[in-house]
This record gives sequence, structure tokens and C-alpha cells, in this order.
Amino acid sequence: MRAVFLFLLLVLAPVQAWAGDLAVTVRDSAGKPVANAVVTVYPASGIPKGPIRFAWPLTVAQQNIQFDPFVLVAPVGASVSFPNRDKVQHHVYSFSAGNKFELKLFGKDESRSVAFKAVGVAAIGCNIHDQMVGYVKVVDTPFAIKTGADGVASLRGLPAGQVTIRVWHPWLRAPKNESSMAFALPATGVARPAISLEIRRPAGGHMH
Amino acid sequence: MIRFSSLRGRLTVLYAGLFGVALLATAVAVTLSVGGNARHQVEKELAAGGAVFDRLWAMKASQLADGARVLSRDFGFREAFASGDAPTVESALTNLKDRLALDRAFIIAADGTLTGAPDIGEAAATDLWHALDSGALSGVLRISETPYQAVAEPIMAPQLVGWVVFAERLDRKEMASLESLASIPLSAAVLTRQQGAPWLSTDAGRAAEPRLARFVDVRATGPRPLATDNGEAVALARPLTVIGEKADAVLVLRYPLNLAMAPYHSLLVTLVFVGFLGLCLLVAGSWLLARSITRPISALDEAARRLRDGEDAHVEVDTGDELGRLADSFNAMAGGIREREQRITALALTDQETALPNRRALEAAIAQADPAGLYIAAIGVDRFPQVRAAVGYRLAGEMLRQLALRLGDLRPGDLCARLSSERLALMFRAGSPAMALGQLESLVEALSRPVRVDGQTIDVGLNAGLAAVAQAHLAPPAERASIALDQARKSRRAAVAFDAETYGDPASKLSLMSEMLAALANGEISMAYQPKHDTRAGVVTGVEALVRWNHPIRGFVSPDMFVGLAEETGHIRALTVWTLDQALRDQAALRLSGHDLLVSVNLSGRMLADPEFATLAIDRIAGAGGRICLEITETAVIDHPETAHDIIDRFRAAGIKISIDDYGSGLSSLAYLKQIRADELKIDKEFILTLDRSARDALLVKSTVDLAHSLGLQTVAEGVETAESLAILTAMGCDLAQGYFIARPMPLANVVDFLDEARAPAAPKSRKA
Repeated sequence: MRAVFLFLLLVLAPVQAWAGDLAVTVRDSAGKPVANAVVTVYPASGIPKGPIRFAWPLTVAQQNIQFDPFVLVAPVGASVSFPNRDKVQHHVYSFSAGNKFELKLFGKDESRSVAFKAVGVAAIGCNIHDQMVGYVKVVDTPFAIKTGADGVASLRGLPAGQVTIRVWHPWLRAPKNESSMAFALPATGVARPAISLEIRRPAGGHMH
Repeated sequence: MIRFSSLRGRLTVLYAGLFGVALLATAVAVTLSVGGNARHQVEKELAAGGAVFDRLWAMKASQLADGARVLSRDFGFREAFASGDAPTVESALTNLKDRLALDRAFIIAADGTLTGAPDIGEAAATDLWHALDSGALSGVLRISETPYQAVAEPIMAPQLVGWVVFAERLDRKEMASLESLASIPLSAAVLTRQQGAPWLSTDAGRAAEPRLARFVDVRATGPRPLATDNGEAVALARPLTVIGEKADAVLVLRYPLNLAMAPYHSLLVTLVFVGFLGLCLLVAGSWLLARSITRPISALDEAARRLRDGEDAHVEVDTGDELGRLADSFNAMAGGIREREQRITALALTDQETALPNRRALEAAIAQADPAGLYIAAIGVDRFPQVRAAVGYRLAGEMLRQLALRLGDLRPGDLCARLSSERLALMFRAGSPAMALGQLESLVEALSRPVRVDGQTIDVGLNAGLAAVAQAHLAPPAERASIALDQARKSRRAAVAFDAETYGDPASKLSLMSEMLAALANGEISMAYQPKHDTRAGVVTGVEALVRWNHPIRGFVSPDMFVGLAEETGHIRALTVWTLDQALRDQAALRLSGHDLLVSVNLSGRMLADPEFATLAIDRIAGAGGRICLEITETAVIDHPETAHDIIDRFRAAGIKISIDDYGSGLSSLAYLKQIRADELKIDKEFILTLDRSARDALLVKSTVDLAHSLGLQTVAEGVETAESLAILTAMGCDLAQGYFIARPMPLANVVDFLDEARAPAAPKSRKA
């Protein structure tokens, strides 16, 4: 593992030389930290070529009649597995454009995989359990991460200079639930922009 | 205050009025209570109706939501909608709309786009989106101002992608179905308005009725009164949630009070009917009661009126109460009064002395009889006072009773009555006045037999007067009969019928007296003088003064008439004084023309009872220095002998001569000749007029002249109308002669001429008559 890590460092070294770190804090209008907000950064210099990999598993499990995680950030084209850890069967689907799928009834410990080919948001639900809602944020940038419970999304090794920071959250009151801002990223140090967003749980829905 | 003429009316109205007031109070109380009760009931019902409506509204919303949910949860539909498969989505909407018989079904997407509702504009869509987005999923939705009950159901795919909206029109039909579910017949209506705009009724576009709009404007939830075209109602306004635009909606439930009152109408009608019936019974009852009280009172009232009018006043009241006893007392009183009245009437109509009906009874009988052919006879006993004085009052009365009995025997069936103390009357019928008079004459003859009273026989001389009841005259028949009796006596006939002309007219006599007093002043009454011839000297030595009255209308009025009348009416003194004065003046005038004559003045017997007059006359005569002879009739002395003698003596003492007039007629008595110290005796003309034909009269005159001379009296003969008579009288030694042969009575002026002429050598005989 160490060898791999070192390799990676070597590969990324030239980039790293002029790269900076970003720690975006997302808060709602009341000032509370917002979790599950997906922060994507698009440098003005463009996105590096090559396949995108994330440090988290591309899995959306069904556990306790809920999708876990609620929001999954997945690179475009990646295959996401949907393991069922409940005793009941689930019928997972998405009607989201480009990422429509339907996983007909499957039982405990069965796992299905779906490839998400379109960049965007795939809202996933269960046709049996209305309360089950989850999101797969399909991104085309390696600079993507969701906020934790503290509302902070940290990214490292970003090319310094002008960047566009986009923040998506399923409950964000904005077109396509996404808000974007231009940001000048310094070459060194950690930039800590804070973003305040209007977050509202949807009414009439059956979500947690 | 109303005044009742009858007790019955007063009692009836009083009772009916009291009951009516009580009834009215009851009716008002019941109506108020019923009205209040009904209103309270209606308010409760309305409140319940409002609650029912809430449930119905929720139920309807639930039904709509169920339908919408069927669609919104359908996997295929969600897939179609999420994937933008518009035709599939629309067909699915239409399919469900038809199946559920919905008025409206459409979708509004999360981005605001509408499917299935082309008539909703962009602004309205935005409003709706905001409403749905804010969670208002059920309520009133207005599309083109038409109200709908709408329910939205979110489409989750799995997050919110839009809403299915189902809506039912709130039209009349919907209201009717709502009304039909209520337990009371209320009417429901939904009013909506854009905020600030006027209220609209359920039917699209129509303005709400103003009163209703005002009612709704008052934001109060409880039941309240509302005036409507159909009378007062109780209404309830319940605000409804509006989704979409800024608008208000309100449900109004109305319940007309008259409908609420309807169940009580029969009660009120019954109450009114029972009250009216009661009133009728009460009026009838109190009328009957009042009548049972007032009928005896009315009977008593009527009987009292009859009693007053002198009719039979017995009253029949057979009740045993106070009124019955009052009636008994009244009857007893009426009986007593009647009895006494009959007694009084009998007394008033009966002559106590003879037990005959009296004059009043006779007049009453005349008044009641048919006047045609009816006659009244008055039969009088001649010289009754003298007879009565002779036999005494009791026997005189008995005599009259005997005569009445005899009259009754002779004329059974005819009413016999006592007219006055000495007169009886008979009421009888006859075919004609002549027949009546004939009957009366024979009756008087039959009656004129001596009457035996207490063993004595009394001769009765009877006269009778007859009066026809039918004859028109001021004097009543009984009086006329009595007057006729007087006339019969005067004419010394057994029976005469009433002669109105002879009797004259008492009323005109009275007016004649007042005219006489005026005539004395204005010269209508004048003096005439008849010369007295001295048979020895052959010259006129005196004149008799005679009054003459030339009435402007009546013409020559007989002195006998007006002198007699003046005596009767008390005017004789004025007449006598005037005569005396005039005679004295005329004597003075004659003296101036050279003729000194003794003037004789007639003196009424009444004046011999008047000492004041004597004083006056003596003064006047002495004052004028007159030579006067007062001629008095011997009968004048009879009435007041003492006074008359005194006065005669006073006259004689004053040098006034006294002459006894009309000697020989009447009750000439030697006693009087002895008592009256007269200077002259005037022989009545009745003896003188026939002197030349009757030897017997001549003998009487001769002996009277001799008698007078022997008593020291001068004699005067009246009524000398022929030369033979004068010659005989002269031969007999009669001192003075007076009569038409000597001279008629003449005015003063002619007397002078006459005397002047007589002084010439020509004898009186040559004078023209």
C-alpha cells in the first residue's frame, strides 16, 4: 500500500507543485452546518485527463428501509452496486434522465449494479417503500466530495487560480438544487470559503 | 270611557275584554317563547350543520386525494411523467378523470409547468405552484373565478416532481347534495372573492347578494340572523382555505326562520283557534248570564214605566233571588198604588152628596164618547138658593138626589151627573137638535113634579139648557149646556138650546172692556141726554144722561151690554166717574147757554156698596155746583142694604136727589119704598108702553103715582111714546114724562137747540118724532 501511495505521489508531483487545498464550509440560512452537500470544483484551467477515482466505495446499500449513504458521489460511467441488507425485498429505481434504471425485486444479500452514464443527479427510490429516497451525484470532475456532519468538504491538490465551486444538495432551493460561485484559489495554504445556502426539507414528500 | 246603555253589554264586554287580554298575553308569551326556542333550535342545528359540513368537506377532500394518490403513486405514471412522456401522462389523467367522474384533473410539475389545464394562466399557475410548494394541498381553488374544491397529491419520483390536482366544482348541484345531507332544510352557498374585490356567488361571475356579502364581511363564526328576501333567516359563515391566488372563500349555511317556525304554526293556529273558541263561549256565556240578570231588571224597568203611565204594572219574575223578592215587593207596591189610585179617581169623579158622577166625570165621559149626535142637557132647579135656604142644605141635597134618581128612572142608560150645586146634567143621544130639544122639553115636564123629602113635599121649578157636543165652540159642552140653562131662565122657557150669539164671546168681552177704557179717553164714548118733561109746567126741567158708545169696528154698542159687562168686570166705577164728570161739565155748559136743568145719572147698584165712590161723587158734584139726581134700581139696594142706605143718606144730605129707577119690574117691594128715602120714583116703561091700551096698566100706574105722591116722591114715567099716554099721565098727576114722544136721547148740542126751540110758543106735541 505504501508503494502505491508513493507512486501516486510521484505521479502527481508536478501538479502538486502548484496545487492548493480547499476546505468549503456549507451552512444553511440559520448557520447550521449542512451535511450531504456535494461540492464540486471546476478549475478554469480544466479538468485533468484520466479516469476519476474516489476514495469511498461506490455502493448504495439498502439497510433499515433506507438508502445508505443518502448521497453518493460517483464518477460518470462508474458502476454502483446496490446490496440489500434488509430482510425485505426492494425495488430500486431511478427516473432521472440519462440514468434511468430499475432493479426489480431483489432480496437479502443480493446485490445489483448499475452504471451511471450521465453526469447529473440520479434520484433513486424504492417502488415498495416510498420513504426510501437516495441520490447518486454523478460527477465528471475528480474534485468532488460531500460535506460531513460538520458541513465541511475538504479537497487537496487543486490547481491554483480561478476555480468554479459548485454546491449541490437535494434540498437546496435553487435551480437543479445546485449553486455555483467563482473562487480564486491561492497556490499555497488552505483556502476556507464558507457558503451559506437555503436548505429546506421538501413538503408533501415522504423523506427522512 | 265607553258608556253602555245596557248592563248586559257592559258585563259582556268586560268579561270578553278581560279574557281577550289574558288570551293576548298568553299568545304573545307563547309566540315569544316559541320564536326564541325556534331560533335557539335553528342556531344549534346550524352549528351542527357546520360541523357536518366540515366532515363532508374533509370526506370529499379525502376522496379526491385518494383518487389523485392512485395516479400519483402509479409507477408507470411516475415513470412516464418523470421521463417526460406527455401523451402517456395526459391519457392517464383523462382515464382517471373519466373513471372518477371528476370535473378537473391536471398536473403541475415541480418546475411550474401545467399538464391538462390549458385554461390556467401563467400567473395563476405560479400562484398555485407556490401554494402547493408551501404545502397547501387542499382547499378552494378558483379557476377563471369559478370555485372548485381541489386536492393536490405530490408526485414523488422519488423526490417531488410535481402534483396531481383533482378538483370538483362547487356549483349548485354540489351545494344541493350538501344540503340534502343536513338534518335540517338549510341552504348552502359558497362565496369567493379575490382579496379586495367584491364577493362572488357560487355561480361563476355573479356578484353575491349585497346583504349576504355584508353578512360574510363580518368575520364571526357563530350563527347570526340574516335578512333575506324570504324573511329572516339564521346563517352561519365558515371560512374555507383557498389555494393558489390571494382570495377568500366562505361557506354560508342559511336556515329561514319561517321554516324553523313551521312546526310551531299548528301549535299557534291551535292556540288561536282555542282562544277564539273560548272567547266565543265566554261572550255567549256572559251574555246569557247578563241576560238572566238583566231580564228581570228590564221587566221591572218596563213595569215601572207602565206604572208611571198608569197601566197594569204587574211583573213576572219567578226567580227566588234578590231580584225575585224585589219583583214581589214591586208588585205589592204597584197593587197598592193602583188601589189607592182607583179610590182617589172614584172620589175625584163622584159627587159625595148625591153619589152621582160629578162634572169632571161627565167631561171625561164626553171626551171619550163619539160627538156625533151626542147632547148634553143641564137641568137646574129654579131659585135653588132660596129653596135651600128654606129647607136646609141636607134636604136640598136630598131633593137633588131624588131628582137624579127620577132622571135615572126616566133615562135609563144615559149618564146622569151633578153639574153644580143646583144643576144636574144628562148625556144622551138624539137624531137631530130639534129632536133633542123636544126630548128635553118632555123630560123637564116629566121631572117637574113635587119631590117628597123627609115627609115634606117640595115644589120644584126646572129649566134646562141643551148643548150639542159636536157644535164647535170655545166653551166645552157642559159649560154650554149650563149657559143655555141660564138663557132658558132668562127667557123663562122650560128648555132652550145653547145660542152662541146671545152668549157672545167671553174673550171678546174682555177685550171690549180694555177698549172701553180707551174709548172713555178718546171720545168714542159720549153722552146723550133725554129730556124730562114737566107735565104741569109743560116744559123740560131735566135730562137723563145716557152713555153712548160708537165703536169704530163694532158700531153702536148697546149700553145694556157694556154697562152690564163693566159691572161684572169691575170697570163700572171708572165708567160712572167719567159719566158723572161729563154730566157735570155738560150741565155747566147748559147753564151757560141759559138752561138750568136737573141732570139724572144712572148709578149702578155696585156703586152703592162703594163708600169711597160716594165720597168722590159728593166732592165732584159739590165742586161743580151741580144739580144731580142719581137713578138707582131697587134691586141694587137688596145686595148690600146697610151700606146702600148709608150711602143714599149721604147723597141726600149733600143735596143730591135720589131716584128709584125701573119701579115695577123685578122684586118691587113696599118695604124698600119705605126704607129708601128717595126723591123720585121712575115707573118702569113696561107699564107705560101699553098704558093707552091696557086699563089694568093704567090702574097700576095711577095707584103707583098716588102711592109715590103719598110718600112724598115725585113720579117719572118712562117710555112715553104717544100723545095719548102723555095725556093719560098728565091726567093721573104724574110729575114728569120721558120718552120718544117727548124726545129721543140726543147729544148736548142738540139739547140746547131743542130747549131753545121749546121756548118758542110751539107745543111739544108738534115736535117731530
